Amino acid sequence: MFLSLARIIKFGFQDVWRNFWLSLATIMILVLTLFSVDLLLALRIIGQAAVDNLKNRVDVSIYLKQGVPEDKILNLKARLANLNNVQEVNYISQSAALESFQRRHQSDPEILQALQELDQNPLAPTLTVKPKDPDHYEELIEELDQIEDPIIESRNFQDNKKLLDKINYITDKINDVAIIISSIFLLIMILVMFNSVRLAIYSHRQEIVIMKLVGASNAFIKAPFLFSSLIYTLVGVVLTAVIFYAFLTVLQPYLDTFFFGYNIDLITYFNSHWLQIIGLQFAGAAMVNLLASYIAVGKYSKI
Amino acid sequence: MIRFINASKFYPPQTKALDNLSLHIYPGEFVSIVGQSGSGKTTIVKCLIGEEKLDEGRVIVGDWDITHISNREIPYLRRQIGVIFQDFKLLPKKTLAENVAFALQVCGKSPKKIKAIVPSVMKIVGLTEQMNRYPNEVSGGEQQRAAIARALVYQPKILVADEPTGNLDSINAEEIVNLLLKINDLGTTVILVTHNREIVNNLNRRVISISDGRLVNDQARGKYII
Ligand SMILES: Nc1ncnc2c1ncn2[C@@H]1O[C@H](COP(=O)(O)OP(=O)(O)OP(=O)(O)O)[C@@H](O)[C@H]1O
Ligand SMILES: [Mg+2]
Repeated sequence: MFLSLARIIKFGFQDVWRNFWLSLATIMILVLTLFSVDLLLALRIIGQAAVDNLKNRVDVSIYLKQGVPEDKILNLKARLANLNNVQEVNYISQSAALESFQRRHQSDPEILQALQELDQNPLAPTLTVKPKDPDHYEELIEELDQIEDPIIESRNFQDNKKLLDKINYITDKINDVAIIISSIFLLIMILVMFNSVRLAIYSHRQEIVIMKLVGASNAFIKAPFLFSSLIYTLVGVVLTAVIFYAFLTVLQPYLDTFFFGYNIDLITYFNSHWLQIIGLQFAGAAMVNLLASYIAVGKYSKI
Repeated sequence: MIRFINASKFYPPQTKALDNLSLHIYPGEFVSIVGQSGSGKTTIVKCLIGEEKLDEGRVIVGDWDITHISNREIPYLRRQIGVIFQDFKLLPKKTLAENVAFALQVCGKSPKKIKAIVPSVMKIVGLTEQMNRYPNEVSGGEQQRAAIARALVYQPKILVADEPTGNLDSINAEEIVNLLLKINDLGTTVILVTHNREIVNNLNRRVISISDGRLVNDQARGKYII
């Protein structure tokens, strides 16, 4: 039993080696397929991170008059917090607003300079209102419009919502395209795998005839071809992981610049999930490839 | 040992390769099967090793009815019947010894057993000196002897030779037939399918003549009469 297993493994490797170029082509297609799947995953992560980030930023600022007593502000804050569509209300006092303004413009000495030349704090105290659900943004605005209070200076319904919708739309579209591309590669992968097993069988037909003649079991005849498809899968998955990791390393700085402040760290994500990613890919690809080879073996090894 | 009972085999669309054929071969016999091309000789061999199935009738080997043998059982049958062909079916990239060893490897025999069996069968067929050569480095007769050695590794009770001398000159052919006789002397039932009138007539053994899938003659000390 053990002996047969060792021989199956040996014959499996021989298959791969003997049809070197074919094996290479098979593995390349595998890598392309898996890479496109990886890319799809990365796009999802980026899209999700961007959307989540924006969702957090969809809020309404209500600017208050300067010098309003604190208790009136807290009173308004409580009223706002009671509204249906409000998740939370944050009070940013005048000095806190100034601090955060200074922090944001740290690297801009001209602005800081100008600020200093004013002898009083020009910023208004602010209440920022966060919606419970960004998708119900319009309703929140309606509610807020109905609130009247003399201490309110102005309202800023800055429309992050439109941006959010746009990003949602784009990520959905990218997702669709990526799924289509991945499916096409998957289909090619199945065909290529099927074909390389078929060719491997063809190039071993003499051996197969003899094996059948001298009474080798059918399982023993078929197993090496299935095993070699497992070899392809393993090599393909590992190679993809390596290439994709290199790709991410190159990509990450661009991501950091492009999505500044969004904190999209694909490398960290892959570092902490690599076992799952590789494992799932291997399991999935192995299943598809084994199925393709099993059908090919069943069909063509009846020489 | 081997019985065909009212055996018929059709090939679509309308070839009747075997037509109600009955024959009985006894243990230890040396039987020649002769007949014109297309008369159904190879079909008999194929039905005997489970490569083709009869449409009617039965085939029995020993006390095993193999008429409807399943694919899973065929390997066991094949290890009990050695077969050789006109084209020797040796692997060109393996030496003669490796070719013989291959038959043992693919059935899960241990290297130790293989080391013991290969030289012994090589000795029976007289290839001890040539066994590390490749098929293209030896004569056709020697290749056929290597094929016979491979057929013998499981010590089969039956050896079937389908035109084993078809590709050989008369001297080599005679050597092969002598080898088959020797194997028969060692107790193996031998079935020789052949066209070669001279060989059959010199053998002076049982001859079964087939024509159009039917048995037309069966003589204990026969001649090639068709
Ligand atoms: N796979 C097949 N499909 C259809 N017809 C076949 C097949 N194999 C053999 N036949 C036909 O069956 C008949 C018997 O063939 P078989 O091979 O048994 O003849 P044979 O006696 O061995 O001939 P030869 O002496 O030329 O080897 C022939 O008419 C042949 O054409
Ligand atoms: Mg024939």
